[in-house]
Formats: sequence, structure tokens, C-alpha cells
Amino acid sequence: MPKRQDLKKVLIIGSGPIVIGQACEFDYSGTQACKALMNENLQVVLVNSNPATIMTDPELATSVYVEPLKAEYLEKILIKEKPQAVIPTLGGQTALNLALDLHEKGILKKYNVELLGATPEVIRAAEDRELFRNILDKIGAKYPKSYLVRNYEYGLEVAGELGYPLILRPNYTLGGGGGGIAYSPEEYKTMLVKALHESPTSEVLVEESILGWKEFELEVMRDHKGTFVVVCHIENFDPCGVHTGDSITVAPQMTLTDRQYQEMRDEAYKIINEVGIQTGGANVQFAVHPTTGERVVIEMNPRVSRSSALASKATGFPIAKLAALLAIGYSLDEIKNDITKSTPSCYEPALDYVVTKIPRFAFEKFSGTKDILTTQMKSVGEVMGIGRTFNESLMKALLSLEYHPEGIPDVEYTSEMLSYPNSKRIFAVFQAFRDGKSVLELEGLTQINPWFLEHVESLIKIENKIKQSELNFDVLLEAKRNGFSDARIAKLKKVNEGEILNLRNKHQIHPHFNRVDTCAAEFESSTPYMYSSYWSQFSELPNLDKPVVIIGSGPNRIGQGIEFDYSCVRGVKAFQKNQIPVIMVNSNPETVSTDYDTSNLLFFEPLTVESLTEIMRVTRPQGFVAQLGGQTPINLAKSLEARGFKLLGSSNEAIDLAEDRGLFSQICHEIGIKIPTSGMAGSLSQALELELKVGYPMICRPSFVLGGRRMEVLESSEELKSYFERHKEFISSTQPCLMDQFLSGALEVDVDLVRGKDWIIIGGIVEHIEAAGVHSGDSMGVIPPQRLKEETCLKIEALSKKLSERMNIIGHMNLQLAIKNDEIYILEANPRSSRSVPFIAKATQIPLIDLGVAATLMKSKQEVKPEQWDWRKSDFVSVKGVVFPFKKFTESDSILGPEMKSTGETMGRGRDYSEALMKAFLSSHVNLPAKGEAFFSLREKDKKEMLALAKEMSQMGYKLSATTGTARYFQENGLDCLPLRKVHEGRPHCVDHIRQGNVAMVINTTTGRKSIEASFDIRRACIDYSIPCITESDAAEAFLLALKKKSEGSFDVERL
Amino acid sequence: MIGFLVLESGEVFAGSLFSESSELRKDFFAVNDFEKKFSRAGEVVFNTSHFGYEEIATDPSYFSQIVVITAPQQGNYGVNRDFWESRRIWIEGFVCLQTQYSEREHGWIKRLHESHVPILTGLDTRMLTMHLRKQGTPWGAIVIAKDKEEAKIKAKVLIDEKKKIQKDWVFEVSRKETEIQIGEIPFGPKVAVLDFGVKENILRQLKKYASEIKIFNSRTSFDIIASYKPEALMLTNGPGDPADVQQAADVVKPFIGQIPIFGICMGHQILSLALGAKTYKLKFGHRGSNHPIQDQLLKKIYVSSQNHGYAVDEKTLPEDVMVTQRNLNDHTVAGFFSQRRNFLGIQYHPEACPGPHEASELFKYFFEEMILNKKTEDR
Repeated sequence: MPKRQDLKKVLIIGSGPIVIGQACEFDYSGTQACKALMNENLQVVLVNSNPATIMTDPELATSVYVEPLKAEYLEKILIKEKPQAVIPTLGGQTALNLALDLHEKGILKKYNVELLGATPEVIRAAEDRELFRNILDKIGAKYPKSYLVRNYEYGLEVAGELGYPLILRPNYTLGGGGGGIAYSPEEYKTMLVKALHESPTSEVLVEESILGWKEFELEVMRDHKGTFVVVCHIENFDPCGVHTGDSITVAPQMTLTDRQYQEMRDEAYKIINEVGIQTGGANVQFAVHPTTGERVVIEMNPRVSRSSALASKATGFPIAKLAALLAIGYSLDEIKNDITKSTPSCYEPALDYVVTKIPRFAFEKFSGTKDILTTQMKSVGEVMGIGRTFNESLMKALLSLEYHPEGIPDVEYTSEMLSYPNSKRIFAVFQAFRDGKSVLELEGLTQINPWFLEHVESLIKIENKIKQSELNFDVLLEAKRNGFSDARIAKLKKVNEGEILNLRNKHQIHPHFNRVDTCAAEFESSTPYMYSSYWSQFSELPNLDKPVVIIGSGPNRIGQGIEFDYSCVRGVKAFQKNQIPVIMVNSNPETVSTDYDTSNLLFFEPLTVESLTEIMRVTRPQGFVAQLGGQTPINLAKSLEARGFKLLGSSNEAIDLAEDRGLFSQICHEIGIKIPTSGMAGSLSQALELELKVGYPMICRPSFVLGGRRMEVLESSEELKSYFERHKEFISSTQPCLMDQFLSGALEVDVDLVRGKDWIIIGGIVEHIEAAGVHSGDSMGVIPPQRLKEETCLKIEALSKKLSERMNIIGHMNLQLAIKNDEIYILEANPRSSRSVPFIAKATQIPLIDLGVAATLMKSKQEVKPEQWDWRKSDFVSVKGVVFPFKKFTESDSILGPEMKSTGETMGRGRDYSEALMKAFLSSHVNLPAKGEAFFSLREKDKKEMLALAKEMSQMGYKLSATTGTARYFQENGLDCLPLRKVHEGRPHCVDHIRQGNVAMVINTTTGRKSIEASFDIRRACIDYSIPCITESDAAEAFLLALKKKSEGSFDVERL
Repeated sequence: MIGFLVLESGEVFAGSLFSESSELRKDFFAVNDFEKKFSRAGEVVFNTSHFGYEEIATDPSYFSQIVVITAPQQGNYGVNRDFWESRRIWIEGFVCLQTQYSEREHGWIKRLHESHVPILTGLDTRMLTMHLRKQGTPWGAIVIAKDKEEAKIKAKVLIDEKKKIQKDWVFEVSRKETEIQIGEIPFGPKVAVLDFGVKENILRQLKKYASEIKIFNSRTSFDIIASYKPEALMLTNGPGDPADVQQAADVVKPFIGQIPIFGICMGHQILSLALGAKTYKLKFGHRGSNHPIQDQLLKKIYVSSQNHGYAVDEKTLPEDVMVTQRNLNDHTVAGFFSQRRNFLGIQYHPEACPGPHEASELFKYFFEEMILNKKTEDR
């Protein structure tokens, strides 16, 4: 049966803000599916609350809604758009859960909307572990022994029977949220309470441990005819016990025999059929005992997933596209293989290379959190390396992580770092081999399969060979074939990197570029999807006419994520619209930019000077673009230019002006822009000398930090001393501490602009909701500004233009400014596209990236017609919301500060500020409780300001409670308020009160390290129990506005 | 040690012979006359299966072939005698990018070594595969030489010599002695198996449904087979060009329409020859575990295990024969069936090993639909 003729309009649900466990892989799948369905002449309605995505680009679908992913909002969209069907399998667990909710509330039935790709029964069967186990029993598949626990007492009972360690898996949570491994009864008890709470159905599966078993994943597809294919088999380097999202994984699987594998394949087929999946993609995870070969099923997901995105990139098989086409009635044999163009899609890709995925973590952002990996996912991004052998692919992936240019630097490690899985274990394993440990010893410590360990050992043997022998042709070629970077070889030979490059040039040792073709060269193909290998003897590169290279943003990390992929992808399209072919280079398998049909030629390669040099050496581009992929390409620009490649857009001089603080403050003075007073101190005594000049409060950070690491606001000499004491290892005369005047209470704004050779367009001014001191990535923001005076806005625009001219920007610039007492201070200038660009582009409808490309191409004012774009013209107010991963980092503090911690953003659009705010909060998973108790714990200076707010809340019917001091103040001012003890004042205290479930929301403002530590438990309790906790007074005002709007009950949805 | 793979068309690929392991290299040099023993010629074919190297090497259909595995790393999980698809290793050479490093499980290298099968690694197998794809299935040789020129000369001698072996490859690999094996179903049918180079798993599958099977040499006469009074006839897989197989087609012909016949791979081709149809050489054959099949008998589309260099010419099949299985990659004939005369020919490998199992239902079909149902009808 071909495409269903009755379908004219379908709705695709996105996955919302980026959170750990659900990241931009769903933007990739959603975007691919949208494109496929639009190609089929269907009308596609798309809803997602995440503005940083490519899928919410208005050009992608018939209509795009940036609205909260909640049933009541979806209902309004269904009424407005009248689609015949909803596809819920492309937006992760969020979309599935939302679809289930729509079904259970009867909304789908009411508007006669069909669910495509997954039925409610299938969604339940995959997520409800009891149902799933019944299915496994039916087909005779084994699974780890376990019990479904619905209360604490029963939980204790089953623990005795199963024995420790135990695995806890709460039902219906993302990325294993709230789960983990308990090694002792004590640990188990606390985890059980949390897990029961975390599950929306209060159900936890308590499972016997299969720690140390080998773990595998099959990415499968099935169509309505029952045709079944395994797109990719993946083996985990880390054995069971580490969430698969946190594991290093390898495709194809390496250590199973054909018999073992085929049995696994058969079982996956039975599971998919028995669960009742009619069409689409799914994944099934298995564990296999390393010696007996016994196999158990771990889980199944009836949708595209993180691993299906990886599988697509690993094989070239477009799973999401196929899932969408299967959902509208096609079968696999009716769809041509995109890559070969001749064979059908009902086949299984054959790989003649190896891919390795390595997750990227952000533990350093969450102080207090132990760097230990469990069954709860904690990584924030991932990279993939493609090579002909496991060694080559592993080493390329390690380089792609952007941790260290050597890829496998010498590190210090402890034996705990080997035996407890952690984010740096792989480096420790390398080091352990360097220190002479054997495969057997490491197998004992890590339980990693010896096949993998032997490969790591072989790499260290090569390292020794490089060290000990002359670097002749053979040794150098062997090193390169095993993925050693020039930087690492240089380090081992104690020479500089350039010498290794010269040597390679002399010996003509360069990689060749081969195609990812899904069929191991069995059929001809012309897909422009390439990887490099030193094993290869020929390149399969197409010829492009004067292409440009766009450097991507690499692995997602906190501070550099999907928003830069948006910039890159829009950038590709903009160059193409100008008839310029684009070469895309990136290492992140979750992205749209690495889809094989996004650019004219895709290189899946590490973003290093070395690999980009090799790519540009053979493709001879007219230039490269560094301003779209965030900080990664900016950091590469200078070295690439030094190697003779042309940087397009703003020059390296402009980059230097922005990054060198001395130069930057000089030009600011020159053109009369204020910057906060600042100083640099290499020691405490120097700092104390500068103390008066800079003044308190001040903001301190070590130089060479990214994303605000170790940045703190200090209020006194005492805190300054403590700061130097705590961070002394990062401060020295060569790496001085930067001390800046802190503009307490100032209003911050982001400005994004584009400058061409004779024109400038202001993209917009985003006013931060929180006052200065919160990292711009963590603060909510609103456009147009709500509190700034119009004249200040005009001044900001004028200043920004002036600065961009002085710096001779060509293309994008992002500025961060602070406004205090109507004075404008400049905090930072970035000569590139920024995090706020996609948000602004969607809020104002100005195609900022296209304009940036026009600027890069030196288009004139007449061509660009800048006057047509006015960011003030929009009828809507847009609020940027923020989501944080504190739940996953159980020891970390949720207070906001100068160090960025958020993983994703949302956008609320409304006719007025309050509607936009309400939507932004809802989309960011912040509850807006209609009734209940509001608890206050305020620092002295906020009390007066918050009094009015408390009054208003009381009038709205909320009960009030507060810590003793705050409560007394409220009472003195005529408010009814329940006083509660602070934690150090004895029990029962406010945290007990919160944990007992008495509190609906918390407003907790605090400064100074000591008070922050003292109030930690309050915030932690809120995170644990999903209670909104506002830590800043301006945010509290905004929260109140949203509460009011919510209580009115009226809202509307509007397409972009 | 440097080794060369030389294709008849002139391309030479340098790689390393045997493993990097010094212990094994020592063993290698210890073999008397090692250069002669490890220089081998054969048809060069590529296989896209990721795993199953031991099954492939022991499959008699690979007789006289040098196998290039496109998946880069082989030998990963060691060896297991249970995986053998026949009594010996048949391939003339094993080529892949890399074999297992470790001393722990160098089993696979060692096993090939014991059978004097050269292993060539470290060459660009992707480039090689593209050559094979373009040239069809060329002859080639793995040789030890000091440079490419010498390699070419040595290879030519080997190839010429190898081409002189008699063309009926099936006879070369077929059992010389008749053999009876007991099936698992005491009152099940008795099946005669004409061994063209049978894979063990075909026999295992048959024994699941049969009371007894009797395996005959490929040149056994009609009378000897008929005197066994088989209730069905199995024609197995095997190597080479079906047109070169002597006697078999004529032996099969009188059985057609008399008892149910199931032919797999070479068996399927011999069956088609017996029907008066023709076979032709495919450009580069189908070898791998990922080929899509549309099957009208089982009424499904599935992924199959394949290994064949020849195919049946559809136009030459008799009218009552229906093409029931098709390879969806190139739409070649992958199977045919005649209800009236009760035979089934399958070009690919329902017995898998290596490869996916979906087609194994065809054995069930053979026994339940073609043998048992027919019996009931007759009564």
C-alpha cells in the first residue's frame, strides 16, 4: 500500500527544551521528518516550545507553533489547525507522554484525530514495566529479576530477596531520572523514597543487578507489512551499570558471534511484534553475560531516540525520515534508499568502517556532585568518530570531545577512577596502560570487555613505539592510522606540532576521504557524507565550485548547544540560496547540521586545526566561516588563517579586539562606552591592593575560563580572601584572577546585530528578567524590553552600532550590556552568532543568519535593504525560559549565579508580557500552582521590595510562611505569615516543612557564600520535589505575573 | 611480512600477511616450504556480513575463492568448532582490514594458519571492493614477493595453474561417501540430499522435520537415489558455475513431479537447468547478510543471507513455474515454485549461518506444505 490518500494534514510534536536525556537528536529527527512529509505534499503542523531548534524555523513546516507542550495548548492547536493525525514518535518521551495524555483526556477522540506510529497501548507497554515484562514472558525472553514497588515497605521486602547491588528504575521518567544503583541498604532507602516520588505513577522497578554484563542496542524499523530490519547494532564499551547515554558505544557490535547476534535479532523482532508496533523505528537494549552468553532484555523504546539518531549518522540510514513515511502508509520496500538511489529501504546497512560515540559531561559545573556514572543519565552532549578501525574511530572521537588537543593526554588518576565509572574513566584507562597495568588487571577493575581493553593497550604500545623509535614513514603512518593527532605525536617526541605536519608533508602522509554509503561499497552511491581515514588509499570527493566551509559547534555542552547548530544550518541554506556550495564540518551526531542532505558536502570529523587543514587542503574552499558555530570555530580561526585559509566575515583582528580585555577596554574608552572597573591580580596581596579601586561587590574569575567557571560575586575582603584560598590552584601571575566591578541590581540586556560593509541591522534587545549576576544563559529574557526606557533602548542601539563599526565587524555580533541608573556598561562583546540569535529571529521574524551571510558575502545596502527589518514591529511579546538539570545532580545547588548551568531554553509567546511569561514558565517545567503555601526566605535588602509581592499573593489566596526574620517583618507589616525555623535553628525547620509537602512554591533570595550554603537545603528540597523555587527578586515579580495570568485561565495559541 | 593480493586484471594491493603477533609469525616461518603453502589463487569475492567469518570460511560454496570481508575487524570473538558449516576450511585466502590483535584469542588467525590459508590485512579493502564491483569476480592470488612486479609474475603462474583444475567444483567439495543421518521426527519423511557442497545447517534444518536423511555425492545416479525411496529431494548449495556441474541436472530431471524437491543456491540453479532454464553469471554476485527478499510464499519481505555468483534467467523458466521470491536490490530471481510439480528453488540461504533467520520458515514450508500436505492430498 502506498501513501494514504486520506491524510492531508498532520501534527508533529517536538520534544521541548533540551534536557539531559532528551537533547537535540529530536530536533534532528523532527526536522528530517518534517522535510520528508512536506515533500509528500502533506501539510505539516509542528509544535515545540524550544526556540533554539531548527524544526521551529518557519520555513520548515506549513505552520509552526512555539507553545507549551501541554494538553490544553495542544487542544487549542488541534481546534485551530484541524489536522487528521498526530505523529508522536519523533519528539522523544515528552511527545509520547503528551500523546498519551491527549488520548486519556479524550481530546484526540473529540476532534477525531488519529495517532500515527504508536498507539496508546504501545506507549504504555514500553513504559509500564509490568506490562512489558508480561510481553517478554509471552515470547520467552528473559529479563533481570525484579519487582514493581509501589510503596516503601514492599520496597524493603523485595530488597532482601534480590540482594545488593540493586537497580532502581522509576516508571515514566526521562533518561532514567530518579533511578540509580544502590550498593547498600542505607543508600537503597534514600534512593527508593526519591524514586517513588520521581515516578508520576509512584512506581519503581527494583531490579537485580546485571553490573558488568555486556550491553547492546539494536535500532530497528518495522512497516505495516511486518517487514523488519535492524538498521544498526551497537555495543557499549562500558558494561552494564552505566546508562547507555553515558556509555562509550561502538557500531557495528564487535564481540558477539553471528549466532548470538542473530538470536538477539530474532528476539527484538518478536518483541516489536508482540508490543504491537505497527510502523516506525524502535530500539531494544540487551545485556549479555560476558562468559556464559546468557541474554536479558533491558528495555525497548517505541520511537526514534538518541541512539536512533546515532544509528542514522553511523550508517547513513535516515530512520526519522523513514519513520515518518511509514507512518503515512508507505512500506519499506516502497521507499528508495536515499544513499544508493537504486536499492529499496528494506535492507540492513553494511559498514566498512567503525563508529565510536563518546558522551560529553559537565560535572565541573555542578560543584558538590560526585563524578560517578550510574543508570541515570548525566551527559549533556556527545561526539562520534568515524574511522576504518576501532582504534582510529575511538581516537577521532576522543579528539572530537574538545577536552584536549592531544586527544589522549597524560593524566593523573586514582584506582577509584578505574573501578567506579566516571566521565574521565577512558583517560584513566589509557594512563593505567601507560603505567604498565595489564589487560587482565584492568578487566578486573573496570569489567570492560577485554576486546576493548586490548585495543586501548595497543594504542599505548604504539605510543611507546613513537617515543622510542625514529619517526620514519612507517612509524608515522602507523601512528596516524591509529588516530594519533599531530599534537599528541609532537608531545611524545617533544617537538612542536608544526614539525609533525612538515614531516607528514614530506612523507605525503595525508588522510583520504571516503563515503558513508550504507552498503560497504557494494553499490554505487553519491551521497556527500564523508569521513577521513589514513587507511584509505583514495578519496571519493565530489567537485564543488568555490565552496565555503562552515565549522560546526561540536559536542553540546552547557554554554554551547543546539542554538549554534541552528545558526550553522540556517547559514548553510543562506549560502546555498546565494548559489554557493557549502561544506559542513562537525562532530556531533545529534545535530541537523550532520544530516547528509543538509549541506553540499558533509565531513564528520573532529573540529581541530589538524582535521580542518586536511579537509580544506583537498577541497580548496574560497574561505571558512567561524562565526556560526559558537566559540569552537572562533578558537580555531587564527590557526587556520595562519595555515593559509581565508576567514570569511569578521577578521581575526576583530576577534582579538573582543577577546583581549586590554584592547577591548581601550576601544571602549576611545568611543566613550563605560565598562565596569576592573583589575587583575596574580596573588591575594595584589588583589587586596586593587580592592578599593574595583570596589565591592565585585565579580572574580580566573583567566581562561569558559562559561563562567569559578566565577563568584564577592561582597567583602573576607570573601575575597576565601576566594583566593579556594581557587589558588587556578590563579598565578601568569594566570591572574580577573576582578570586575559588579553592578549590583543592574538590568542586563543581550543585543544581537549584523553588520555589512555599509549597513547594520539590530536584531533585537533582549532584556534579562533577573538582575545582573545571573549568567545570561541562565536568566530569563524578554523581547521587546518591558522595563527599559525607550530612550535607553535607542542609546543601546546607537552604542552597539558604534562599537561594531569600531571593531570592524562583518557579520554577527552579540553584546552583553548592563544598565544601572540609566548608565550603560558593556560587559562582553562576541564577534559571532550567539545563543540568543534563534530566539530573537523567532521573536522578531528577522532572518538574522541570512543577513549575517549576506554581510559575509559583502552585499551592499541596496541589495540587503536593511530598512525593511525592524525588531520593534512584532505584535507579540516573547519570553525566553530556561531549564536546569539540577535533578540529575543531587548534590548541587540550584541558586543562579555567574556560572551557566542551564541545558536548554523555551519560548513563551503572548499578546502581552504576562501571557508570554506564563507560557515560558510552563514550557520550562515550572509549575504555576493555583493555590497553596508560598514560603519566603529573603535576604535583608529584598524584604521591603518583596513585601508588596507577598501582600498580593496573600490577596490571591495563597498562604504565606517564612523563615523567622522574614516572617517577623511580614507580620509587622500586617501580613498573616507562618514563621518557620531556619535549618540551623533546630527542628522541625523549614526544610522539614517543605519536604512534608506543605509548600507549593518558594521564594528564596540570598547572597554571600555563607548564607548561600546555609540555605542550600531549602533549594535542594524544592528540586527534589519539583517545587518552583525562585532565587531572585525580579524573577519573583515575573513569577507572580505568570501566576496571575494562569489564574485568569485565558490563553491563546498563535503560529509563528 | 608484506604480502600482495594481485588481481588478474593487473591491480596489486599490498598488505601484511598474517598477524602482527610475533608468536604467530614464528609459527608461520616454521611451516616447511611456507611460501609455497601460503601462496594461493582463487576467484576474489567480497562479502558484506559483519560477522560469521568462521561460517563463511567453512562454507563449501566458497571453494576456490579468496574472500574479502568488507567489515574492517575480524576474528574478534575467537573460534568455535560448532560454527563450522562443513568439515574443513575451503577458502583460498582471507582478506580484511584488521584481525584481532590479541594473544588471548588469536584463535581465528591460528586456525586459518593451520589450514595454510593466507590472511592479508592492512590494505584498503574499500578500494578493493570497488574494483571487484566494477570488474565482476576476477581471479586473483595472494603471494609473497619483494615488490609488485615480482608479485604479478608469481600471481600469474598461480592463477593459470589454478584455472586448470577441473571445472566441476561441486564434485570437488561433495561427499564421496554416502551418509545417513537420523532426524528428530521418528515418523517424519525420509529425504535424499544431493550434496553439492552442503552447509551443515541445511542438514540440521532438515533433521528437525525428517526421520532420516541420506546424503549422496553430486554424481550419484538416479537409480541409486531412487532405490532409497526418498519422500523428498534436497538439492544443496555449492560452489562454481552450475553449467559446469556434471550429471546432476539429468539426475534431478526424472524426480521432478514425482517427489517434492527443494533446491537451495546451487541446488536451485541445478533445478532450473533440469527444468530446461538457463543460468548466467552475475556481475559481482550477492554475498552478505543484508539482502532484501520479497517472498510470495511466506507472504513477507525480509532480509536474507546470500552467497551466489550466478542467477537463473527468468525468461527461460517453463510456464508453470512462478517466480515467488525476488531480490529487491536488483530484481533478480531469488526463488521459484511450481505447485503442480511441487518443487521450490531458493537462490539465497534460508539456513542462514551466517545471517538472519527469517527465511528458515521455508524449511517448514517444504515439509508441511510440500511434503505432508501433498501426502494427504494423494490419499
